[in-house]
Amino acid sequence: MNEKILLVDDEVGIRKFLGIYLTDMGFEVATAENGRQALEVFETFDPAIVLTDIKMPVMDGIELLKALKARAPDTEVIMISGHGDLDLAIESLKHRAADFVTKPVNHDMLEAALRNASEKAAMRRELRRHTAHLGEMVREKTALHQELFDAAPCAIAVIDREQMLVSANRQFRDQFGEPGGRTCYQAFRHRQAPCGDCKAMQTFDDGVSRETETVVTTADGTHRNVLIRTAPIRDAAGEIVQVMEMATDITTVRRLQCHLTDLGLMVGSMSHGVKGMLTALDGGMYRLESGIRKADMEQVASATAAVGQMVGRIKSMVLDILYYAKSRALELETSDVEVFAEHLAALVKPRADLHKVRFMTDIASELDTFLIDVKAVSSALVNFLENAVDACIADRTKQAHTVVLSVSGDHEWVVFDIHDNGTGIDQETLDRMFTLFFSSKGSKGTGLGLYIANKVVRQHGGSIAVDSTPGQGTNFTIRLPREVPPECLRGEDPDEIAAAANEEPGTAEKTAAPKAGAPGNGKGDRPYCAWIGDMADDE
Amino acid sequence: MAKKIMIIDDDPDIVTYLTDLFTDSGYATCSAADGAQALDVVKAERPDCITLDIEMPDEWGPRFYRKLSQEPEFRKIPVIVISGLNATKYAVPKAAANFSKPFDREELLATVRQIVD
Repeated sequence: MNEKILLVDDEVGIRKFLGIYLTDMGFEVATAENGRQALEVFETFDPAIVLTDIKMPVMDGIELLKALKARAPDTEVIMISGHGDLDLAIESLKHRAADFVTKPVNHDMLEAALRNASEKAAMRRELRRHTAHLGEMVREKTALHQELFDAAPCAIAVIDREQMLVSANRQFRDQFGEPGGRTCYQAFRHRQAPCGDCKAMQTFDDGVSRETETVVTTADGTHRNVLIRTAPIRDAAGEIVQVMEMATDITTVRRLQCHLTDLGLMVGSMSHGVKGMLTALDGGMYRLESGIRKADMEQVASATAAVGQMVGRIKSMVLDILYYAKSRALELETSDVEVFAEHLAALVKPRADLHKVRFMTDIASELDTFLIDVKAVSSALVNFLENAVDACIADRTKQAHTVVLSVSGDHEWVVFDIHDNGTGIDQETLDRMFTLFFSSKGSKGTGLGLYIANKVVRQHGGSIAVDSTPGQGTNFTIRLPREVPPECLRGEDPDEIAAAANEEPGTAEKTAAPKAGAPGNGKGDRPYCAWIGDMADDE
Repeated sequence: MAKKIMIIDDDPDIVTYLTDLFTDSGYATCSAADGAQALDVVKAERPDCITLDIEMPDEWGPRFYRKLSQEPEFRKIPVIVISGLNATKYAVPKAAANFSKPFDREELLATVRQIVD
């Protein structure tokens, strides 16, 4: 024992005698001759135990006890009582004295009382140290948990039974705003009423964690595909008081998955067309060989033309696949609109001439320049122009056929109008023309052309309008901005932009009345897969 | 008299190819661009053998074959399937032969020769 002990007694003999005895026991001892002096010594000496006489002048033991318990309640105070102050000794116990010993002091009893007191003091100190440590640990752990909560790579929100947001981690706050006073459906979906089939509420009811995939809207209005998991939070009694919702962003995964699905679909649906083309190429080669064998120059010439045409078809198909397989970033350059339009006309005219289709251009003057990916835009527009020529070739009802390319512009837009008096487009084709792999040309089309053309125009922030009357002809209007808007330049998928703008993905503006159940309906929950679903419906 | 081979395919380039190929080998030919008109052509031309594409826009190969096999006069005409699709033997189980595009020219001619002569 090496506790500090303060010995208080008005008799100098007792102070001296007991003092020696306590020092021998291993205590560090200080003394005072009355209560008041004891309080002064207490301040500087700071003992764990005070051993005090009851009856003293100036301030007696009971007063001292009260003062000490008020000042330092942990102090162990042992009373020494003379004969006849048993009542006072008992009263002292009411004031939380640790013990009392009677005079003449029995050493065994004193020793027992002191041992108890010092054990208690030691325990109390230990307890205090633990408590302090515990507090620190709690603070540390809380900070760690908060950090984990905040740093978790998903948006986490905790809701109560009323679906009010109780707390949210950093990612949630960054993406969906501060939780304060909002419900989860307001934050996640911008809705005013709860979502049907709420997984969190089901978790409230049965305590089972659930998982669901859905599309949410961030504070800045973009749509994200997320995987939401719910988990119950219980109080000490085991009651579910809150539910945690963890939303993991899987937008990129979904997008990749869609892209891969498209590629798979593309390879599958194109193999038939490819085989046909290769067979036709074989045919051309055969004709060429036999023409050479027979020295029939006319056959050689026609076979060469056929082979050339076939190679052209295969080439453009391969380029389409490559364009689709790798969604390349735009390579923008400033181009003179007139020069571009003339070049375009030069690309299409030979084919029109070959099939006796009159090809005319009406290019306004002083069209200035625009910023485009020349390769992509010219292949897209050639696609529209060749379709116009094809529509004329396929038409058997009119004597003469004409395709007109008109180019005009204002300070913001450049407008390409392509008019033909060919077969016209029926409603079904109008609805589906920009869908991947849709082709109205049987084995001649890959179904990629207009899909990619549409994608290119949208990548440039442009739009396509179609106006067609079956049997009379078609008018395509392609509008391109003079400068590509910034949201397109970020390299975002045009389908994503379309979805975010809440348009019909993969579908351009159509002037013909849309048919019920047209592609693009029901896209709501799956912005990136909308048109894949549509395709499946079409099958 | 030369044996007559009928070509049914929606791709005119392939019809031209097969016509050239058979004509050069000494056969007479006739053709149809889809299953719907093919039966009329069969009745008018009475071919000795038919090459049949499977996927065609208006009426596909198997349907034509079914109609053909319901005609007692023509049901015996051997049919050679030439298609870009795989597993065509399930589409026309009684076909005399199956070729997938692009086919081997000499092999096709040998098969035709075997069937017709």
